[in-house]
Amino acid sequence: MAQAQPERRIRQEATSLAQRLPGLVVAARQVAHTLLHGVHGRRQSGPGESFWQFRPFISGEPAARVDWRRSARENRAFVREREWEASHIVWIWFDRSPSMAFASDLAPVAKIDRAAVLALALAEIAVRGGERAGLIGLTPPLASRDVIERFAEALAANERLHGASGPLPPVALVKARSRAVLIGDFLEPAPAVVESISAFAARGAEGQVLMIADPIEETFPFVGHTEFLAAAGADRLRAPRAQSLRADYLARLSAHREMIRAACATRGWGFALHRTDQSASQALLSLRARLAGPEPISAARSA
Amino acid sequence: MLGLPLVFAAPAALAALALLAALYLFLRVTPPRPREVVFPPLRLLIGLDRKDTTPAHTPWPLLLLRILVAGLVVLAMAGPVWNALPSANDRALLLILDDGWAAAPAWQRRVAFAQAALDGAARSGRLVALAPASHGGLELSALDGRRAEDALRALAPVPYAPSHMATLPPIARFLAANARADVVWIADGVELGDTNAFARALGEAVEGHSLNVVLDRAPPLALSGADNLSGALVAHLVRAGLAARKIGLVRALDAQGRLIGDAPFDFAAASAIDAKFELPVELRNQINRLVIVDEPSAGATWLTDERSRRRRVALLSGASADVAQPLLSPAYYLKRALAPFAEIREAPPADGDPIETLLAEKPSVMALADMSVPPGAAHDALANFVESGGVLLRFAGTRLAAGEDDLTPVALRRGGRTLGGALSWETPKHIAAFDKDSLFFGLAAPDEVTVTRQVLAEPEPGLGDKTWARLADGTPLVTAAPRGKGLIVLFHVTADTTWSNLPLSGLFVDMLRRVVARAGPAPAETSGAGAIDKQTIRAPYRTLDGFGALGAPPADATPITGDFSGPAGAAHPPGFYGPPEALQAVNTLGPGAALAPADYAGLTIAAGGLDVAAPLDLTPWLLLAALVGFLVDGFVSLWLGRAPRFARPAATALLLVGALIGATLHMPAARAADTTISAQDADAARETHLAYVASGDATVDETTRLGLESLSRVLGERTSAQIAEPIAVDPAHDELSFYPLIYWPIVAGRPQPPALAVARIAAFMKDGGTVVFDTRDALNQTPGGDSTPEGLWLRKLLAGVDVPELEPVPRDHVVTKTFYLIDRFVGRTEDGQTWIEALPPPDPNDRTPRPARAGDSVSPIVVTSNDLAAAWAADAEGRPLYPLVPGGPRQREMALRGGVNLVMYTLTGNYKADQVHAKDLLERLSH
Repeated sequence: MAQAQPERRIRQEATSLAQRLPGLVVAARQVAHTLLHGVHGRRQSGPGESFWQFRPFISGEPAARVDWRRSARENRAFVREREWEASHIVWIWFDRSPSMAFASDLAPVAKIDRAAVLALALAEIAVRGGERAGLIGLTPPLASRDVIERFAEALAANERLHGASGPLPPVALVKARSRAVLIGDFLEPAPAVVESISAFAARGAEGQVLMIADPIEETFPFVGHTEFLAAAGADRLRAPRAQSLRADYLARLSAHREMIRAACATRGWGFALHRTDQSASQALLSLRARLAGPEPISAARSA
Repeated sequence: MLGLPLVFAAPAALAALALLAALYLFLRVTPPRPREVVFPPLRLLIGLDRKDTTPAHTPWPLLLLRILVAGLVVLAMAGPVWNALPSANDRALLLILDDGWAAAPAWQRRVAFAQAALDGAARSGRLVALAPASHGGLELSALDGRRAEDALRALAPVPYAPSHMATLPPIARFLAANARADVVWIADGVELGDTNAFARALGEAVEGHSLNVVLDRAPPLALSGADNLSGALVAHLVRAGLAARKIGLVRALDAQGRLIGDAPFDFAAASAIDAKFELPVELRNQINRLVIVDEPSAGATWLTDERSRRRRVALLSGASADVAQPLLSPAYYLKRALAPFAEIREAPPADGDPIETLLAEKPSVMALADMSVPPGAAHDALANFVESGGVLLRFAGTRLAAGEDDLTPVALRRGGRTLGGALSWETPKHIAAFDKDSLFFGLAAPDEVTVTRQVLAEPEPGLGDKTWARLADGTPLVTAAPRGKGLIVLFHVTADTTWSNLPLSGLFVDMLRRVVARAGPAPAETSGAGAIDKQTIRAPYRTLDGFGALGAPPADATPITGDFSGPAGAAHPPGFYGPPEALQAVNTLGPGAALAPADYAGLTIAAGGLDVAAPLDLTPWLLLAALVGFLVDGFVSLWLGRAPRFARPAATALLLVGALIGATLHMPAARAADTTISAQDADAARETHLAYVASGDATVDETTRLGLESLSRVLGERTSAQIAEPIAVDPAHDELSFYPLIYWPIVAGRPQPPALAVARIAAFMKDGGTVVFDTRDALNQTPGGDSTPEGLWLRKLLAGVDVPELEPVPRDHVVTKTFYLIDRFVGRTEDGQTWIEALPPPDPNDRTPRPARAGDSVSPIVVTSNDLAAAWAADAEGRPLYPLVPGGPRQREMALRGGVNLVMYTLTGNYKADQVHAKDLLERLSH
C-alpha cells in the first residue's frame, strides 16, 4: 500500500494539472505583465508597420525611399524608417512527467506548476513582443493575444487525452532560426538529455534549457533510516543512513548538470537552473533576456 | 506467591516468559520502520556506494516497552487472581452464616464474602455446605460451587434472632462426616440467640478441623423502645459493644412511610442512649415507626401502635337527656376540642355503669363534664384509676356544685358564683395571665373570654399552688392536684357555654391539649379490665423483613393474642398484627432490651473481617495494560518513522479503532446515560417560537412557514414579544411543550395523523397550549350546507380529543382586545367564522362595564376557516404572496392584527380582561 500511494498521489496531481491551469494562467499573466513594461518592439529599424525614425537620405538609395513630405520642410531629403518587426517563432516545451509533480516541504509549489507558469508567461511575452510562440507537439505557432488561453486549452486537452507526457521533448518540426525553450527537471540520464538537445540543435534551432529543481533535491537534507521512492514506477531505495549518501549524491547531481550544461554550451544554447523556492519572474526575466540577448543581432544580420 | 496474595490459574503459561529473551534478540536486530520519502532524482542515488549499511537499532525504551507488552500478555494468559482465598487443598468448606436481623446492615458484604469463599472453593473443586443460623436443625448437604451460590443468593436475613444452638447438631454431623473441613463462621458479633453458648459448643465440635470467625468491623445498632412522653417522643437506642457506630440519626416515619422528623443521637461511651423527637403531639401521633438511618435491619426499626401513640380520653357527661340537642351538650364541646389530638371514648348507652365501662378501655384521661361521683364501686374504680396514674379531668356545673364529691383538687364551696347576672353588680370576668408554674404558662389569655358563673374553691392553704388559671380578680378558674401517681384537674366552669364562653375559644383547645399531653400512657390495668382484649386473636397484618422493610407477612407467621409481649421470633415476626384500625405492634427487640457483644473466646477471629478484598481476576487488566502499551508503541513508532503524511490518518484511525475496541471490551461500565436533547428542542426551549404542524403538502407548508415568519416579524416590530422563526413540528415525535401556539392548516387529502400524535396534541391542549386549526375553506362553505372535506377531516381528527364547547368569537372576548381592538379574524378570506372555547355566560348581576371577558385560562383551541397564514405570508422583501378576497391592504393589515392578537392572547391569557384595563379599553372603543 505504502508503495503504491506515492505514485498514485503524483499521478493524481499530474492529472489535476488541467484543473490547476486556470490559476496557473492567472499567475503566468501576472508574471508576464510585470516584465512587459519596457519590452516594446525591437528598438531598431527594420521592416515593420510603425514609424521608427527619419534619417537623412544617403545617396545611392532608391529614390522611392524618400519621404517627400518630411523632406519638403527642409533642404535635405529624409528617409522614413520603420521599426523592425521581424516575427520569430519561439517553441516552448515543458516537462509534464510525474517527477515534475513533486513538491517537497521546502518548496512553495510543485515543479510542474512553476514550469507551466514560466512557459505560459514566456509565450505571452513573446507574442507581445511580436513573435509567435508554439508549444512543441501541441500547438502551431500562435501570435494571438490570448496565447495563454490557447496554450492552456491545448494543455488541458492533451492532459485529458494522454495524461502526463514523457520526460524529454519530442523532436518536432522546429525550423532553423526558430528558437526553442525547454523547461524541465532533466533528471533522465544525461546522455539521453544531451541527445534530445542536440536533436533540436541539429535542426538549426537555437534555444535555452531551463532546469527546474526542487530545493530538497539540491540540499538532500535526509538523515537516518530512509526509504526513497521514485516519483513514477516501483523503484525504491532503502538507505539505513541517508546522510552517508549526501556527498556522493551532490557530486553526482552536479556532474549530471555539468554534462547538460556543457552540451548546451557547445551548441550555443543557454542553460539556466531555477529552484522552485525562487521567484518565477526572476527566472522569466533572465530567460527572456537571454532569449533576446545576442539573438536579435544575429537575426538582424540574417535579415 | 512470593508473599503476595497472587495465584495463577494456569501457571504453565508462565513458561512462555522465557520467550521474552528471544523476543529481545529479535527486536534488537529489527530496525525501526524507515520513513518513506518520494525523491524524483532517485536514479542518481541508485548505484551509489553505501558506505554505512549498519541499520539503526530499535531505541531501547521502545524495546523495553515491547518486551513489557509481551510479558503482560504472557502474564494475562496465566490467569492471575489477586487476593484469592487459600484454596490449595481438597478440604470441605462449611460456611456458617448468621442471618438474624443483626446481620442485615452488612448483609451485602457478608454475602460478597461468602460468595468469594464459594468462588475459591469452586475453583479448586471443593465441596461446600452452607449453614444459615435461621435454618435451625435442617440437615446440611454438601453442594458443588454453583448450587451453593444459588443457595446463597436465596438467603435473606430474618427479622428476628434465630437460635444458634439448633444448628449445632447438623454441624456436628457434617464435621463428623467430613474429615478435616474448613469452617468459616460469618458472625454478626451480637449475643443474640445463644451465640455465646453456640460459640463454646462449636469450639469443641471443630476439634481437628479449622475454624475462622469472620466479623464485621461495626456491630449493629438497635432500637429497644420508644415512649411517647409529654413534650417529646423518646426513642431508646442500644448498641452491641463500643465498636459500633456512635452518631447517627433516628428517623420517624408515618404509616405511609413519609418522613415526620429526624432526631440525632450520639452514644459517646454509653451502650444505650435516648433520642428525642420534640414534635407536636399531633405529629407524634402520626409516627408509625422509627428507624435508624443507614442501619437497615429489623432491629433498628421500632414499630409503634395505638398504645403508645394516642392519649385515649374517656368522656362522660352528667347531662344525659340532651341527646336531642347535641349542640348544647358539654360533651359536644369537649369532643370537638379533644378530637385533634386525642382518641375519644364515650360510654355506650345503657351498658352497666358508664364509668367502669370506660375505665375498661384503658384511657389515659377521664373527662367528666358536670357530674358528681357518689361513693360506690364507680367512685372506687375512678379513685383507683387516678391513684395508678390516670388523669381525671372534671368540669363544673350545677350537678357538681350540688353534689358531694371528694375527687376534686380543691374543696368547693357549695353554691356557685354568678357574675353579671340580674342580681349581681359585677361584670363578667376575664381570665388573668397564666402564672409561671401553671401548666398553661405561655398561652395567651384572650380578652374576649369571659366567665359569668363558676364554682368557687374554699380558701385553703396551698390553693395558689393548685391553681393553674385564675380570673382577673384572682378567683381560681382551673385547679389541679396530684393524687397518687395521677392527677385531678377541675375546670371551675362548665364544658358548655352556659357559664362562660371559654369552650368557644381557641384557648380551651390549647388548655385541653396541654392537660392531655400531661397525661402519661394509660395506667396499668386494674384487675378485671381488659379481659376481652387479652383473648382476641390478632392475625399478622404487615411484617418486617430482615432489613426493616414492611411487607406482606410470610406464610409461616402465626397470629398473636392480645397479651403477646415477648420479642419476635420465627412464628411471630415483628410487624403489625390485628385489624387495620386497631393494629398491635410486635417489635424485634423487647422493650428495654440490651445488646451485648458476643464472646468468641477460644475461637480464631479472622483478621480483616469482612473487609478482605474480593479476589480480583487480573487478566482483563493485564490485557488492557498490554493494549495500552501496544498503542503507545504504535504511536511512538509512527512518530519515529514519521511516515508520509497521507499514511498517518489511516494509521491513526486504525489505532483509534483498536483503542475503542479495547475500551469497549474492558471498560463496559463507563457509559453515560443516553439523555440527548434534540437540537430542535434545545433551540425551541431557548426562544419563543410559533409552531405549525406540517401537513405534508409542500405548498401549504411553505405558505404556513412564510406566514408565521411574517407574523413573527410583525410581532417583533410592533409588540414586545420577541418571536424567533417558526418551527415545523411533528406532534407524533416532537416535544410540544415549548410552543405557546401551534398553527395547523388542514389539508383534506392528507392521511390522518397517528393516534399517538392526536393524543399528544390533546395533552398539549390540556396543558395550556393553544392549537389554531385553519380549515382554509371559507370560500367553499355554504351556509347550512354540507361540511367541507376539510371540516370533515378536522372533525375526524378531533374525535379522540376532549374539545371544550366552542362558540363564534364573541365581540367582547378578550382575544379581540389583547393588542388591537378587532371584531373578527380575517385571513385570505373574511367570511369564515372563527370558533373559540365558549366563555362562561356573563354574570347578570354584574353591572360594571366589562369591555372584555375571559375564562380562567386560554382557549386550547381556535378553529378558523379564513386561511390566516396565506394572508400573512410574505416573501423576504415583505411582498405579499397571495391575493386576498375581497382584497386590499386594509384586509391584510387586519389579518396581521388578528394574528398579533391571537399570539398575544396565548402569551398573556386573560390579562387584558382585567378591570384595570377596562377604562382604557372603553375609551379607545368609544373613539
